[in-house]
Amino acid sequence: MSTVKATRPLGPPSRLRRRFKPVKLVSFITLLLTTFLMLLPLFFMVSTSLKSKREMLKFPPTFLPESWAWSNYTDIFETLQFGTLYKNSLIIAGFSVFGTLLSSALVAYGFARYRGRGNNFWFILLLSTMMLPYPAIMIPQFVLFSKMQWIDTFLPLIVPAFFGSAYNIFLLRQFFSTLPEELFDAGRMDGCGELRMWRTIALPLSAPALATVAIFAFIYSWNDLLTPVLYLSSSDKFTLPVGMASLTSSRFRIPPWHLLMVASVLAMVPIVTLFAIAQKQFVEGIVLTGIK
Amino acid sequence: MKNMMKSKRYALLLATALTVSSVLAGCGGGKSAGNVAASDSGAGNTGDPGKQVTISHYTIDSEDRTFIEKLIPDFEKTHPNIKVKVEKAPYEQFDSKLQTLIAGGNSPDVTSHYGYGGFAEYYNKDMLLDLTDLIKEDGFKAQDYNIPENLMKIYTVNGHTYGIPVNMYVTLMLYNKDMFDAAGVSYPPSDYEDKSWTFDHMVEDAKKMTIVSDDIAKTQYGVDFTWAERDMRPLYFGAEPYSEDTWTNGGVPSETHFDSPEVIAAYQKLFDLVFKEKVSPTSEWSKSVAGQNGDPFVAGKIGMSIGGSWNLAGANDFPFKIGVAAVPWGGNDKVRSTLFVDPLLILKDSKHPKEAFEWIKYLMTTEVQEKSIELSGGNPPVNTEAAEVYYKHFDGIDPGDVKKVYEGAVKYGYESYNHLITNYSQINDMFINELQPVETGHKTLEEVMPVIQKKVSEIIKR
Repeated sequence: MSTVKATRPLGPPSRLRRRFKPVKLVSFITLLLTTFLMLLPLFFMVSTSLKSKREMLKFPPTFLPESWAWSNYTDIFETLQFGTLYKNSLIIAGFSVFGTLLSSALVAYGFARYRGRGNNFWFILLLSTMMLPYPAIMIPQFVLFSKMQWIDTFLPLIVPAFFGSAYNIFLLRQFFSTLPEELFDAGRMDGCGELRMWRTIALPLSAPALATVAIFAFIYSWNDLLTPVLYLSSSDKFTLPVGMASLTSSRFRIPPWHLLMVASVLAMVPIVTLFAIAQKQFVEGIVLTGIK
Repeated sequence: MKNMMKSKRYALLLATALTVSSVLAGCGGGKSAGNVAASDSGAGNTGDPGKQVTISHYTIDSEDRTFIEKLIPDFEKTHPNIKVKVEKAPYEQFDSKLQTLIAGGNSPDVTSHYGYGGFAEYYNKDMLLDLTDLIKEDGFKAQDYNIPENLMKIYTVNGHTYGIPVNMYVTLMLYNKDMFDAAGVSYPPSDYEDKSWTFDHMVEDAKKMTIVSDDIAKTQYGVDFTWAERDMRPLYFGAEPYSEDTWTNGGVPSETHFDSPEVIAAYQKLFDLVFKEKVSPTSEWSKSVAGQNGDPFVAGKIGMSIGGSWNLAGANDFPFKIGVAAVPWGGNDKVRSTLFVDPLLILKDSKHPKEAFEWIKYLMTTEVQEKSIELSGGNPPVNTEAAEVYYKHFDGIDPGDVKKVYEGAVKYGYESYNHLITNYSQINDMFINELQPVETGHKTLEEVMPVIQKKVSEIIKR
């Protein structure tokens, strides 16, 4: 704020400044209120995660915990084998992101840079797979993976990611098509192979798009509940969403909301981290493309 | 040009190789798990290849259901040729996983109707194994396991038995002793034969405890009457919405009477608790106090709550003193309680029905049933001998009261419709949706019930 003041004397006369101020103030307050409203559920999540089981049942709910039950954060590891679930989810999400990036970027590169017979036909066919809802392929896919004896392994959750996904391919293709042809011509003149051009020219220039795809793939895999439920059966292979759904599974008991909130807080960490990292990529990406 | 084509082809090849190799790399993590699935398909590859057999028990992933895992080691010791594997899913996904497992040729051997679908639905979809021959061959007798004969009949259709009852939940009344004390009202009786304990008596008591205030923190209600699923509630007042033949032919009623004056009058009496007598909370109020699937009774805002006996299982956590009482008499001399009897079922696609039956018998023995009460945190057994242990399970509640309430509820009990009527999950969803405007006071029963009647008959015909 002080720097603004310092530069002001060079700006418009003070009368004008005063006329604009209320508008600015109103928008500032509006923003502040909206932020507050947005953060409220998040606040209650953290606050509930620190309440005792008895306090969680209270109505009206307390704003801040009366007694801070920090032990909830260690209890969760005992009630849910939280560590195992977390590790499983990370492994599956990690491979899924890697697989999605690799396959989608490769296919998208092909669609963006080569013209061939039936090019459009294949692309439309690819896009039309987006219209198939998961339940429609659920059972045939299950039969397939069950014949391959992949039931109760991570494979059905990881391998499909290595075969691309229509939406991500579409997204990346659009981005790859905007890259100037001259760059690739220059690469070709220097004797660069196609795969090397993909790796050293197309990929580094597409950081923002790749970051977006990585976030999508991570969130999709991290939140997925139905596929792990279908394919995993032993508790030491369950993922975080399955474990969390099981916390509210009993029809006969009060769900341990406080522990569920602990799990939610901890489950948020990788997504927030990834977003923070990817956001840096976004900004860098914009800077890079700006130079061109 | 030719060169380029070539390099393109190489690129493609390389890409394929890369993908395949990364797939293989991905395998590393879960490879060891592959063996588990393999043993599912028959004699399997574990231990001696001659006789050993693996059966799977599919259940809900919650402590009160997965406790059976702790019983497996003892069972496997006495039955060295049988291995038991527990498969599980969260409650909400229970049905869809089961359907997929069966469709995918990976049917579990033993399960129960723990999801939304009920016995009749399984029966009509031809998912269940007829146990009659197994029972005959084995010489299984219900009385050896202290299972009351009338409970065995629930899962018998046309003389064929399809399930062995294992747990029995009844309807009971829980009451908040602190609230009764504060209002100076005497506690309700646990004896079902006490003729003074009527629906009207309950309403009078509830009026004394109800406080409706602008301050939501001070508001409290006398009674919350959630007796059974919505379509079953008229039965409490003696009105029968489904025709008699429903119970003998596998759950397909030939007629329903949801628009009859008796049924409408019965619903009216229940909604009067909310809108006329004002002793019960509206559904919006309940949700705002206790959240989507919460219960305002647990928050200490309700004096008396009529519901399933599973509510007892959480009793030790309630922040107030609690008692159990009989469900008051509502005008039906025969029925005052709903029974929710969970059976153990063998699925039709089971590859080892005999071994599965051995496992079921083991779960039914008095010793295991008694053990299960503690392990599950209070699942009520059907075994009448083990039930004595169950009555003593709850801290601060008189075992004598629990016993009286249970025995009365069984005597005046009726098996829950959700186990006995086909396509029940659809009927239930429809009821929740259609009755919503009545619950919020936007429509009358006279407007809604003919619609419900029409929709029920459509669903049943599916």
